[in-house]
Amino acid sequence: MTQPSAFKRLAGQEFFGPFLALLIISLFVALTTPSFLDPQNFRNIALQVSILSIVAIGSTIVIITGGIDLSPGSMIAFLTMCLAVFIKNQGMDLGPAIALTLLIGCALGIGNGILVAYVGIPAFIVTLAGLSAFKGLALTLNGGTPAFSLSEQLGQVFYGTFLGLPLPFFYVIGSYLLFMVIMEHTRLGREIYAVGGNENAARLSGINVARVRLIAFSFAGACAAFGAVLLAARLNSGSPNYGANIELQAIAAAVVGGASLAGGRGRVVSSLIGSLIIVVVQNGLNLNAVTTSMQSLTIGLIILIAVGLDVWRARLGRGLARLTGQRTA
Amino acid sequence: MTTPLWELVNICKAFPGVRANDGISIRLNAGEIHALLGENGCGKSTLIKILSGVHQPDNGEIRLNGVPLTLGSPIDARTKGVATVFQEFSLAPTLSVAENIFLGRYPRRGPFVDWARMQAEAERILASLEIRIDPRRLVGSLSVAEQQLVEIAKAISVEATLLILDEPTTALGAHEILVLHNLLRRMKSRGVAVLYISHRLDEVVELVDTATILKDGRVASTAEATRLDIPSIVTAMIGTSVDEHYPKEQNATNEVLIEVEGLWSAAGARGASFSVQRGEVFGLGGVIGSGRTEIARAVFGADKITGGRVRVAGRKLRLRSPRDAIAAGIALVPENRKFDGLFFNFNGGPNITSAAIGSIRRLFLLNKSEEARITTNYIRDLEISPAAATKFVNLLSGGNQQKIVIARWLFAQSQVLILDEPTQGIDIGAKIAVYRLINQLTARGCAVILISSDHAELIAMSDRIGIVRGGAVVETRPASQITHAHLVQASASAATAA
Ligand SMILES: Nc1ncnc2c1ncn2[C@@H]1O[C@H](COP(=O)(O)OP(=O)(O)OP(=O)(O)O)[C@@H](O)[C@H]1O
Ligand SMILES: [Mg+2]
Repeated sequence: MTQPSAFKRLAGQEFFGPFLALLIISLFVALTTPSFLDPQNFRNIALQVSILSIVAIGSTIVIITGGIDLSPGSMIAFLTMCLAVFIKNQGMDLGPAIALTLLIGCALGIGNGILVAYVGIPAFIVTLAGLSAFKGLALTLNGGTPAFSLSEQLGQVFYGTFLGLPLPFFYVIGSYLLFMVIMEHTRLGREIYAVGGNENAARLSGINVARVRLIAFSFAGACAAFGAVLLAARLNSGSPNYGANIELQAIAAAVVGGASLAGGRGRVVSSLIGSLIIVVVQNGLNLNAVTTSMQSLTIGLIILIAVGLDVWRARLGRGLARLTGQRTA
Repeated sequence: MTTPLWELVNICKAFPGVRANDGISIRLNAGEIHALLGENGCGKSTLIKILSGVHQPDNGEIRLNGVPLTLGSPIDARTKGVATVFQEFSLAPTLSVAENIFLGRYPRRGPFVDWARMQAEAERILASLEIRIDPRRLVGSLSVAEQQLVEIAKAISVEATLLILDEPTTALGAHEILVLHNLLRRMKSRGVAVLYISHRLDEVVELVDTATILKDGRVASTAEATRLDIPSIVTAMIGTSVDEHYPKEQNATNEVLIEVEGLWSAAGARGASFSVQRGEVFGLGGVIGSGRTEIARAVFGADKITGGRVRVAGRKLRLRSPRDAIAAGIALVPENRKFDGLFFNFNGGPNITSAAIGSIRRLFLLNKSEEARITTNYIRDLEISPAAATKFVNLLSGGNQQKIVIARWLFAQSQVLILDEPTQGIDIGAKIAVYRLINQLTARGCAVILISSDHAELIAMSDRIGIVRGGAVVETRPASQITHAHLVQASASAATAA
């Protein structure tokens, strides 16, 4: 066998297709919309991507186990309200308030996980219920009204810089590095892929399938909570309306990035590329003053195309195999 | 020469990287059972998929009574008289047996489905196959063997001039095979051409009139040239002759390794008792549905145990899940590789290490170079295809897949290996490789529990055989004192008892 060329090795990577799509979309937007290349616009994109991409990590991991998580949007609404109440009504310090919010997020994720893994209710149903229930919880806080101007320093959590770079940059890099290591270089990550690939075989290999599913949902809760803290910091407020539809964007990011809804396939890093695709498209539409209803429609189409791609991926894969000359034995 | 009923001329079909069919010509005569034989991956299924309208040939011609025709889709092929039992099941698990048999062509009265007629017709077809299954049952609730029978019933329920069966007997027991053979002989006397694929050569030479042997996508031996005896078939298949089909080594010791006492499980073990010594192969014989797989799963902790004891090396086990069994050194190579054995999203390495992933850690991280080294070693030692190191395992042949599942338990250093139909659907070369692996295991002091519906294999490779009936071992004897007739008789008495 000959060594495949560097290009073929790159082309064989799962994230190559999405990466190419991102390049083409960015190029198209840049050519049609000159203001896209404005440094201020780049900053906007980066800030927007930071929150979505962190939430998308959790969605991707749940999807890799063969599940789905529809709850992060409402969870974020509830958690921004929690944070607001802790700071404004309870007068808590910033550190403990944030820590408590993150903990609540993990707990909600664990709750989802227990219902899916140990009670045996399908993930779709559990998190659909969560989508509604967490929103309801958010409305019970602060009389159901948004809370503004939470704290002077909270904004610094999002807008602050370190070594001249905005803090969200480090949050994203840090989260991605952490979860890439977990998913690709630890036993837990291997078990997550195994459960998504073949649950029966995983059980018969001695893997604790329920525990793996529970952990995946707790990761999703933690990622949503992190996203909620960043969103509250960015807007210096909490609101029951924050986070709406972010679960769909996160799922779209995962699938556009190459995760299979059937489970077992997809990489954490791909969801960063997927998030960028979603945000760049949205940004392009914004710059061209496309109405919100049309934007909604476009995101809907992207999700459809992405899931369609998931269905067609088997055939695409065969086509790609032809290109790269893979051989079966 | 007379014109054959169906004829394939110079069929070519390539997939990315493989020429699955490379100029294959076959003549299928009316009233003749024609075997299509060859190693895993030689292109048998590809050829029958072309003949069933699933694939279109890149080149070549299909002729019916000498007239060229195209088979554009499976439905097209069916209306032109081709009925096929595919290797992969094509049943809808959430529909009833009757609905599956008549899928896409429900009998109607006016605009409505005629359920009563469908029911009656389904019962008649099942009865002709001596299948005792209620046509109202959901297919998803049937065992693999029963599903296979429904698949066959579905194929013969249409009037066909060509009946194709791709490995119909892998999941069947001796009794079911006998019934199927009788049915095929009846079809043949009615003038149907039958094309039959199987890796069980003993049943092939019993049944067929003629055989074409493929190798690497080409015809290695034409129907005219093939002599219907096992040694010459094997020689044509693999290119060399094989002098020892069952290279059995005697490694049994006197030291008991595993003792199973009165084991009951919710799924169907009913008071099973037996023990196996170090180095011994203990065979479990019995009919489909006798409870062999259920006993195996109970011993492995995969089904809930409701009574009885399992001891390994004198220590009583608490088996709440496969994890407990694995920790005690027990391993299960499951009957169904695809559904219970393999991770199709992994290449060979993670498939091999999955049951002992904890042992390749360096602190918190997986030691992937160690994993690669281990994989390379197993690929070399078990003669697995080198592609296993880099390719997803669904691209490997059945034999290579099976070796990977066995390698998993070698790596987990299991002491007691339960092999449930380990040679199902794999070619003769790979079968012999599995037998050699069994020898290696017993030489090392492992105990092997072998479940097989292939009587010749079971008798040749076991030291002792236990006959299973109703979820319990009813009789145990040295393998040397058991004959094929014994096993069939045990099956027959079980069938009448059922
Ligand atoms: N849809 C496909 N795409 C790509 N390659 C394929 C496809 N189907 C079959 N192949 C390849 O074509 C070759 C022939 O496969 P085929 O299934 O016809 O073998 P077979 O003789 O039926 O083997 P077995 O005895 O294991 O069933 C193999 O190398 C296989 O990997
Ligand atoms: Mg085949």
